Amino acid sequence: LFDLIIKRVKTMEGLYRLPFNVVQCPNLKLKKPSWIRKPSNTMVLFGLLVSYFLVTAGVIYDIIVEPPSVGSTTDEYGHHKPVAFMAWRINGQYIMEGLAAAFMFTLGGLGFILLDQTNKPNMPRLNRVLMILCSFIFILVAYCATKIFIRIKMPSYLT
Amino acid sequence: MTTVNDNTSEYITNSSSSSAGLKSLITVIILICVCISGFISRLFSIIRFESVIHEFDPWFNYRSTVYMTDNGFYNFLNWFDDLAWYPLGRIVGGTVFPGLMVTSGTIHWFFHMINIPIHIREICVFLAPVFSGLTALATYLLTKELWSKRAGLFAAAFIAIAPGYSSRSVAGSYDNEAIAIFALIFTYYLWIRSIKTGSIFWSSCTALSYFYMVSAWGGYVFIINLIPVHVGFLLLLGRYSLRLYVSYSIFYILGLILSMQIPFVGFQPVRTSEHMIAAGIFILLQAYTFFDYLYNKLRYVRNIETIFFNLSIIISIIVFAIVVLLTYTGYIAPWSGRFYSLWDTSYAAKHIPIIISVSEHQPTTWTSFFFDLHLLICLYPVGAWFCVKDLNDERVFILLYAVFASYFAGVMIRLMLTLTPCVCILAAIALSKTLDYYADAESSEMVSNYDDSVSICDEVENDENNQYLDNNAQNIDETDDNDDDQNFLTSNIKIIVVTCIAMMLLLFIVHCTWITATAYSSPSIVLVSYNSDGTRAIVDDYREAYYWLRQNTPEKARIMSWWDYGYQIAGMSNRTVLVDNNTWNNSHIALVGKAMASNETEAYKIMTMLDVDYILVIFGGVIGFSGDDINKFLWMVRIAEGEHPKDIKENNYFNDNKEYRVDKSGSPILFNCLMYKLCYYRFGELYTDSAQPSGFDRTRSVEIGHKNFDLEHVEEAYTSANWIVRIYRVKKLSNRFQAKDALEKLTSSLSEESFEKNDGKGVILNKPHVKKGTKKSMRRT
Repeated sequence: LFDLIIKRVKTMEGLYRLPFNVVQCPNLKLKKPSWIRKPSNTMVLFGLLVSYFLVTAGVIYDIIVEPPSVGSTTDEYGHHKPVAFMAWRINGQYIMEGLAAAFMFTLGGLGFILLDQTNKPNMPRLNRVLMILCSFIFILVAYCATKIFIRIKMPSYLT
Repeated sequence: MTTVNDNTSEYITNSSSSSAGLKSLITVIILICVCISGFISRLFSIIRFESVIHEFDPWFNYRSTVYMTDNGFYNFLNWFDDLAWYPLGRIVGGTVFPGLMVTSGTIHWFFHMINIPIHIREICVFLAPVFSGLTALATYLLTKELWSKRAGLFAAAFIAIAPGYSSRSVAGSYDNEAIAIFALIFTYYLWIRSIKTGSIFWSSCTALSYFYMVSAWGGYVFIINLIPVHVGFLLLLGRYSLRLYVSYSIFYILGLILSMQIPFVGFQPVRTSEHMIAAGIFILLQAYTFFDYLYNKLRYVRNIETIFFNLSIIISIIVFAIVVLLTYTGYIAPWSGRFYSLWDTSYAAKHIPIIISVSEHQPTTWTSFFFDLHLLICLYPVGAWFCVKDLNDERVFILLYAVFASYFAGVMIRLMLTLTPCVCILAAIALSKTLDYYADAESSEMVSNYDDSVSICDEVENDENNQYLDNNAQNIDETDDNDDDQNFLTSNIKIIVVTCIAMMLLLFIVHCTWITATAYSSPSIVLVSYNSDGTRAIVDDYREAYYWLRQNTPEKARIMSWWDYGYQIAGMSNRTVLVDNNTWNNSHIALVGKAMASNETEAYKIMTMLDVDYILVIFGGVIGFSGDDINKFLWMVRIAEGEHPKDIKENNYFNDNKEYRVDKSGSPILFNCLMYKLCYYRFGELYTDSAQPSGFDRTRSVEIGHKNFDLEHVEEAYTSANWIVRIYRVKKLSNRFQAKDALEKLTSSLSEESFEKNDGKGVILNKPHVKKGTKKSMRRT
């Protein structure tokens, strides 16, 4: 038996082929499942923006601490008025204010993405102008709204 | 510095060498300005007060550094600190990350060697700002590898002033994060470099930098988990290459051996779950490489790809099963509490209240995101999107870093620090790509060629670029007829866009500086309040009281206080403390909490058992300081209740409305506990506000409920100027304990009435009562 092996194994290649003289490769029909596909770019962008929205809204804070959706104060007539922003506390928030702020951040991000999309070649002029206008509006709105939110929350900001 | 490709050599004119020199000069100048600005923006507290170590943890680091410079490195590694955690002591050499102390010690030694005698305190105070400049440089290098040099400059500028990073690295904040973030980014830069080149040299450098990181911070677990996950994702995406194999294998083995040299880490890298991902990926990578090698030899066999693919999956499942088995049988320790609470966020609340009582470990709200990152928050997903569009090996890494860092930053405020470099890098990429187009006034629609040639030439400023690209643009841009007015329109819009972006960056700088100046520069050991006319009133009570302790107590005196102040007391007063910020022994802390929460007699028993000489409490009621011990008292109760549930119950300290109040409606148990008595002793006679009655607590805004009491076993030793720090001396037992009504008790038990009550039998005090057991048959019914 030993001589047989030595005769057959003339090179390293022969050594690799040795098991296949004894064992036969099974005729398997294994395939990667067809529904596993690399996600398209738009899907990835959508997933990115949604997860970013949730994280910056402080969703984890909401899950752990469970603050109310909006606060409430009573004015001098005894009516309950809702309070949107928890004032003066940096490490506390209501659910709605977190979602609102995260929406503003995502809006700003979308504005910058649009700003980059405008410089694709071969775009009609109307589309291009509209896109630039849109992105300007998005970024401005996001910035002003965030500034207002912070002023409500902490009146001494930037003073 | 410029990597000139052969294709573009035709476009390079004779002035290329001088303009290349000009580009590097501008790069160097910008980087120097970035370093200087990062250094200066962290100096606010030095200018306002003086150069003093801040907060709590840095005091321990400072004390260790002083010990090391006085006694040498090996004595520091073998140091057993008997001043802390009396009577247990603390093995400092084995429970500390020595990187910070070694760094300052080295700088100190170097300066003394060249005869500049700087005091160690100055080095410790200014270490963090200096390292922030180095971090900016490391971020520049990392972003240069990921995208381009222009993005690198933006990233360096962002990280130099970003409040998320400067909050933990102001001058005076002498903590591990000061050097750890630099080590983190530098290790990541070397890792990306070694993946791109696949050379042994860069991988070994990565391992050395990883060693520095392990010596610096417990957050090295982030590196040793992110890099294997990166390798795993590259394998999944089919981006395997021999460079990956070489770099990860060398990094893992060398990094493993080097990381085990730190005494604190010891054998953890082979025995705890936090390091198992790295080991598992290492084995998987060996198997994958082996299969890849076989595949190259056995191409002719049918279906060889699917077979090997499935074999890899089977190997990974086997490795995972082995790890799970080893964890189950106990050979591998499970995830420790600190890291497990990042996944299961309710775990710490139920089991380890100390973790959740730290204010930095609370989950993050949107304001923290905005305050720490401002403009970068909007640019961050844009940069991630750009990386997704042009994916390659290193951009997979930064995307993984972004995903994990975002999640962790959402869970814990403290981890915003690890998110900040990633945000700076991705925001710089986004801004750089946008400005690539809009900041160039020449080219209009030929974007793709422009991008290629620019990225090949690696420009810094676009102005010098125009003379080369004029040739490029004019050669290609020939047929557009209505180009002129379109160019005019687009160039106007470009100017507007660039101006707007510049204004936003200016606002970003204003915000960063304002936040660093107002929110993150307080030294915590010196408090400031501003009067109505703007003058400052400095409250220096802490240092005053600690210095009193240092000068007026015997050297072996033992101080009992809550663990927050342990490091400061040990550092400034040089006295023995019972518990300090290391919080390694929960039972000891629970004992102290029980002593604070019990009444005076019970507390005295604990204090004599622990050999306490002085008690120190912090009380903010006179000036309205809200970080005092009465506000922290519920945490003391909770921690004590965790260990002694029968003696301490949290509900006893609430009033009938389930509120925690110190006014008349407070619970009597609260009024009798040691903490209340020590804080409010003699406070009932004090008028804090002329409009309010005496004993008005300005922090809680109520008049206290229990005044005019006496202390039995302690006496007041010192109260600081604004009553913030109050120190009490524990009195020794008097010679004989007099029970007040012992005689009456004795006579009443021997009196006629009780004699009759007991059917004529005598009575023995404290006689044990025997309970008759029931028969088995009767019990069944």
